[in-house]
Amino acid sequence: MATVEATTVREAHRPEWVENIGGQLLALLTALGIAVLLGSVIVIAYGESPLVVYSAILSGSFGDATGLGYVLANAGPLIFSALAVSVCFKGGMFNIGVEGQFIVGMASASFAALTFTFLPAPLLVLSVLVFGVLGGMAWAAVPAILKVKTGAHEVVTTIMMNGIAASLVAWVIRGPLRYEDIGGGFNVNLRTDPFPDAAMIPDLGHLFGIRSSARLSWVLPMAIVAAAVVWFIMRRMRLGYEARAVGASPGSARAAGISIGAVQVKLFLLSGALAGLVGIQQLFADQGFLPAGYEAGIGFTGIAVAFLGQNSPVGIVFAALLWGVLARGETSLQLETDVPREFIIILQGLLIMSVVVTYQVAKRRLFSRQLRRAADVEDLRDAEASVDIERAGEPGPPREVDR
Amino acid sequence: MPLGDIGAAIGIALTYFTIIYLTGLGGLYSERSGIVNIGLEGMMIVGTVTGSWGTAELTPELGLPWGPLAGILIGAAAGAIFASIHALATVTFKVDQIVSGVVINLVAVGVARFLSTIAFGQATQSDSGQPHMDSIDIPLLSSLPWGLGRAFDGISPMVVVAFLMVIPVWYSLYRTRWGLRLRSCGENPEAARSLGVRVSPYRYEAVLLSGALAGMAGAFLAVEVNLSWNEGQTQGLGFIALAALILSNWNPIRLMGAAFIFGFAQAIPLRLADAPIIGAIPPEFIRMTPYVVTIIVLAGFVGKVRPPAAAGRAYEGSTGV
Repeated sequence: MATVEATTVREAHRPEWVENIGGQLLALLTALGIAVLLGSVIVIAYGESPLVVYSAILSGSFGDATGLGYVLANAGPLIFSALAVSVCFKGGMFNIGVEGQFIVGMASASFAALTFTFLPAPLLVLSVLVFGVLGGMAWAAVPAILKVKTGAHEVVTTIMMNGIAASLVAWVIRGPLRYEDIGGGFNVNLRTDPFPDAAMIPDLGHLFGIRSSARLSWVLPMAIVAAAVVWFIMRRMRLGYEARAVGASPGSARAAGISIGAVQVKLFLLSGALAGLVGIQQLFADQGFLPAGYEAGIGFTGIAVAFLGQNSPVGIVFAALLWGVLARGETSLQLETDVPREFIIILQGLLIMSVVVTYQVAKRRLFSRQLRRAADVEDLRDAEASVDIERAGEPGPPREVDR
Repeated sequence: MPLGDIGAAIGIALTYFTIIYLTGLGGLYSERSGIVNIGLEGMMIVGTVTGSWGTAELTPELGLPWGPLAGILIGAAAGAIFASIHALATVTFKVDQIVSGVVINLVAVGVARFLSTIAFGQATQSDSGQPHMDSIDIPLLSSLPWGLGRAFDGISPMVVVAFLMVIPVWYSLYRTRWGLRLRSCGENPEAARSLGVRVSPYRYEAVLLSGALAGMAGAFLAVEVNLSWNEGQTQGLGFIALAALILSNWNPIRLMGAAFIFGFAQAIPLRLADAPIIGAIPPEFIRMTPYVVTIIVLAGFVGKVRPPAAAGRAYEGSTGV
């Protein structure tokens, strides 16, 4: 009888998943609105029209095919980076070390590109990718093992690993992988040798009439495949289930017989593997060598994109595209308005800050509503039980039955 | 190896000490109140550009040393204003403190460039050779024999200020009611609340102080060390300050030692590159020592550190205060 009543109560409200997705959309739109509004205030203070500025941002991306090509090309690395962050986050861990994992991955990928030059193109590209992945995984393994074995918090250790990675890669470029061929006559000091052409990722943009300057390569399809793989692992495989269990409640997960440490290490390795591919676009589709001071910050931007996409692979792909649109807006902003292009970074910051805050507020709202609903159900059951008692003169079913 | 090189290295280490120590004290206030602050680097960055701006604007009016001093204070104020975003997000909206700190660091780069285009007409640097305070010689110490005195010769007055900061910070944290309450908010906010301490105001004050100190450190770096603003000049020193804070076990006196050791590690490649043994190590490996040491300590291989018990956790007060 209690079951019947509970169903009626739930039907009075919207189904939970509608509420979840609707709530998330509402939160995202609110956040976008807040960011655009606050951005407008800055633009007006600067003496420009927000309408002109925002339309300039959009026209940079959607004005022509090449503009869109830039957006798509920039999205690839962001997708890898955000996926890497999200994988750990699902398991209740924070990998701030994507930046370090990605630059170490790039150093080892560069090593592969410069060492295995005897391989034919497809195999060389494959070994570049494998070494990128291995480098990222190796760098992610350290904080993972330290966390499991010694309890050192991954946030601090990954920050420290970032610092170590920057110095290590600086040394690699100054030492082992330093540019040898001095014949070129230009400044060759701090970078590696140029990669052989066979190591480079082929261009994709020309198939769609996008100029090669956009550097749209096969990295983007790879990133989308990676998003699909992450979705599959997280939603359809045991590891994903265990990760969500550990992330939601480590105590219950342990009680259910899940080895928390093993899950955490696996997640970190997966995260590192994804992080190891972040730099492929820039090095192997664009520059063609590893420059010194290669700290592009994509590892940190990935955190923002992961939040914007709410750690879901689909959300991340769209968030990366949105981020790419904004980044592309820098150029058109400079051409068409007087607002400095740095306005875009502020706008991105406003967006991510308002996303974080509105999601937090929405989550709390939803949580307290669910609590209240649970209390309602309980009240009704109590009422039902007492009616039963009056009617039949015997106690109703124990409440624990359907809980 | 002449001892004079060691003296010069110590001199540089003192400069780095000032930056790391001031920033670390900022982190100390914040984390002792229960708010983890990995946005120190970003707060420093905002301090660099605003400090440099303030100095350039105010020195013609105020002269030396008041112009640079005012610039450094402006950097501190800007750091505090910027930190109020972190306070608002973490204390009022209870956003995850790590997330907010990461966002702070991301946004800081954009804010700095934006301010720089307004202040200097270019995004990534100011004019070089801006005014700075006259350097001073520390009496007695600067006449140490064998060249060791070089360490205390011609240093910025701010280095002395940083050293003296330990007194007010230690006193405020351990000898005042405010400090006791602030620390109790970082250890057990529920217990503090039950004794009538309003947690949120303490955490706000701590985070704002944290931004002010980090901003001051950044302004010192731009105004007194580099004599100009340049993008990327903080070089991750905010994270090294975080490492020093951990090594110090969240104690302002031990933080002095940690900041000096890490500062010295920065100075070795600059002044002791020809020294025996040390000189043979690639400078990159010396630069990574602060991070390696911190990981070793955190993992419990050497020594033991314990962060404030409630650091990182939002306070879920029923009335929200």
